[in-house]
Formats: sequence, C-alpha cells, structure tokens
Amino acid sequence: MLRLIQTEFLKLRRRKLVWLMLSSALFMPFFALLYFRYVKETGGDPIQFYRWSAFGYTLWFILPVVLGTLCTMLMYEENQHDMLKQLWIVPISKMEYFFSKFFVVLIYSICFMLITAAASVMFSVLPGFVTFEWGSVLYLLKKCLEIGIITSFVMLPIMAIAASQKGYILPVTITLVYVFLGFILMTVNMYLHPLPSMAVIVMRNGDIPGLVFTQAINIPLAFLCICVWNIVAVLLANIALGRRK
Amino acid sequence: MKKLLWAERQKIRRSNIVWIAVFATVMVAVIVFLGGQEVYDGSRNVDNAGWYMTMAQPWATFFVLPAVIALLGSYMICREEQEDTLKSLRLIPVNEANLTAAKMIVTFAFSILLYLLLFAITFLTESILHFSDLSVEMVLSFLKAYFLDGLGVFLAIAPIIAFVSCMKKGYWLALLFAEIYSFAGLFMSMSNFLKAFYPITAVFTISGYYDASTSQVILSCISLLFCGCLSAFILKSHCLLFASR
Repeated sequence: MLRLIQTEFLKLRRRKLVWLMLSSALFMPFFALLYFRYVKETGGDPIQFYRWSAFGYTLWFILPVVLGTLCTMLMYEENQHDMLKQLWIVPISKMEYFFSKFFVVLIYSICFMLITAAASVMFSVLPGFVTFEWGSVLYLLKKCLEIGIITSFVMLPIMAIAASQKGYILPVTITLVYVFLGFILMTVNMYLHPLPSMAVIVMRNGDIPGLVFTQAINIPLAFLCICVWNIVAVLLANIALGRRK
Repeated sequence: MKKLLWAERQKIRRSNIVWIAVFATVMVAVIVFLGGQEVYDGSRNVDNAGWYMTMAQPWATFFVLPAVIALLGSYMICREEQEDTLKSLRLIPVNEANLTAAKMIVTFAFSILLYLLLFAITFLTESILHFSDLSVEMVLSFLKAYFLDGLGVFLAIAPIIAFVSCMKKGYWLALLFAEIYSFAGLFMSMSNFLKAFYPITAVFTISGYYDASTSQVILSCISLLFCGCLSAFILKSHCLLFASR
C-alpha cells in the first residue's frame, strides 16, 4: 500500500497544474487582508481575521471544489491514457488503487490547509492587524488540520463517482452541485450532507464567530452522516471498479 | 460558417455534456428551492412572490453556471485537439479561426438557453405555488433579466475560454479559473465601483438585479464589452500565431 501511495506521488510530480492549484489556498487570506485594510478593523482579535481567511469560504467552497477537481483529475488521467489495463495486469487490487488515490487527496488537503494557515498568519501579522501569539497560531493550526483531514473524507463520494465514470465532465459538475447543496443545506438540516456535518465538527465549541447554527450541535450524528455517505461511496467505487475490465 | 455551426450541432448531439449542463441547472434550481424552505417573518421564503426567481439568479451565477458554461466551451474547443480530429479538420481545409468562432457561438447560445431553462423552472414553480400573485410585468422583467444574465455571463467568461483554448490542454484550468472568478464576485459586490466594474457582478447591474445608476450601467457595459473584445483579440492573435508556424 505504501508503495502504491509513493507511486501516486511520483506521478503527481509531472503535473504542474496540481501544484498551481495549491496557490488558490492564498485567495481567502489575501482577500481577508484587503477586507481588513479597507472595510473593517480587526480590533486586534486574531480569530476575527482567521474567520475570514481560513474558516469562511475556504472551508465551504474553495477547498471542496479544489479537492473535487483533484479527485476527478487523478481518476481521469489514468483512464485517458489507458493505463488502467496495465495496472490490473500488475496486479493491483482495485480497492487498494482507490485508497491510494484517496491518500493523495488526504495529504493534498492537509497541505492546502497548512498553506492557508501559514498565509493567514503572515497576512495578519506582517501588516500589523494582530500581534503574533503562539496560542492563537496553534489554535489556527489545529483547526486547519481538522478541516484538512475531514474535508478529504467529505469528498470521498466525488472520488467514487469519478471512479465510476470514464469522462471528467459529470464528476466535475457533480462536485459543483454537491458543494453548493452542502452550502444551502446548512440552514435547513445540518445532518443530511457531509459538508455541513464537517462544519459542525470543526466549530463544535462555538468559538468561531459569525456562524449561527439552526440546530443543536450533535457530534456523533455529524460523524454518522459522514460515515454513511463514505460507506455508500466506497461500495459504489467497489462495484464500479469491479465492472471495469 | 453555416456548415460549421451545423457540424458543431451534430457533434454536440452525440456527447452527453449538454445533459450534464442541464442536470446542473436543474439541481441549482432544486437546491435554491430547498434553501427557500427557511421560515422568515412567519412565512416560508419561497411563498413570497418573486423570491425564488430573484434568488436563483445570484446563487446560480456565483456558484455554478459560469463554471459549467466555461467547461462546456473549453471542452468543445479542447476536444478537437485531444481526440486528434484537428488534423483531419485542417486537411479539409477548415479555417481554424472560423471553427473556434463557431464553437464560441454555440457556447453563447447555450449560455442563454441554460439561463432561460433556469427561468422556466423558477417561473413554473412560482406559478404552481402562487399563480395569482404574479403579474405579467414582473414575469416579463424577470425574463429579460435572465436573458441578459445569460448574455452577460457568456461575455464575462469568454476571455477564460479563449485563453484556455490557446493552451489546448487546460480544460481543468478553465473550470477552476471560472469558479474562482465567479466566486470572487461575492466579495466585489461590497464596493459600488467594483460591483459595476467586475464582469460577473456587472452582469447583474445590466440585468437589473442590482439597483444601479446610469453611470454604473454604462461602466458595466464597457467592462463586459471589454471582456468580449479581449477574448476576440486572444483568439485572433493565437490563430495568427498558429498560421505563421
């Protein structure tokens, strides 16, 4: 398994776009910088800044879309160059293949959030919006790691869909719809969709301002929601990859 | 040109991208409807006449449709290169500038059709829910707004399609660029000048979703026309470069 993951990373080396996509991690911290410079004052509270730079749209939108695209890309390129046949001949177990790709997404997601965290600290401390404190930086790092890890699990269904399709258009479109659905369902029911459930887990203590929960916070239920979606996704991937010749 | 358009229509009939785009549009409508279940001031949001038709516009435009349209356009252009049919087309010979122009025209038509589809869904839903509250004037003004949305969104994302078609292999980039570009519109709506100037929000200034002064409408028109000219320029210079090789 470890060797498979290593191979996956070696394959990534050649793709520049994957590394280019990491730069979208800078988008929200940079925007937060502009926002606090021209529109609002932070009042020295780092959480206010981080709420914009890391816990806002990065969590809801940018990271899921980037991960969804990455999932599709990883699955599609192999298919396109007709490499799958050779991989089956090696032989590689189909689920091992699926999970090795998932690990790439997991590690990519963590890297993405770490870059966001580093950029948030840089963009808040260098212009002097907040003073540098280890306490708040560690808190940001902890939350970013949580977001990075859980979001990769949230995107597992997209990976399963990408594995079951030959093209790239359907999975990519479903990514957009899936993320948008999660965003809207937040106000309706938080435990129907993995994305709001992830937000519930990350913001469980209610210490991040600006987000009003419409329902009581129930961590086990949120985990259950993510697990159910993931189990269905893995089953789907298993069936779909099993059918591939 | 007529022949090229006919050929494009034939090509698109065989590919299911059109159905995927329609699926995305229908899903956006369903999701916004779900979001409208929230109770506000004693009544559900969707029960207010015009709410659904008003809200579907920004949600669809900031989150899903521009990316789907950019994907559609770049897919049509990139697939000739990818599936190695471009060579055969050059042998016929087909003028590549005309070919790309035909593809752009098809994308333009799709952009408008997708928005009109969204209008049809929202209008039908509203008329089922509360037909008596709708006036002819209101419906016509929404029809006009959706039409202008479709037109404006195409102009706003045309540079992305043009840019990506120069690179030939970058349909992933088209999707990501378009997504972040349309998503950034959410923030641009905070400042009055940027709102009129940024192409994605300029679409709303023209369509009448935002209350705008005449000068803002003119600025928006200029900004969108600039986008259109820019994409024409990119395509033209690229084709010249190609011909000189």
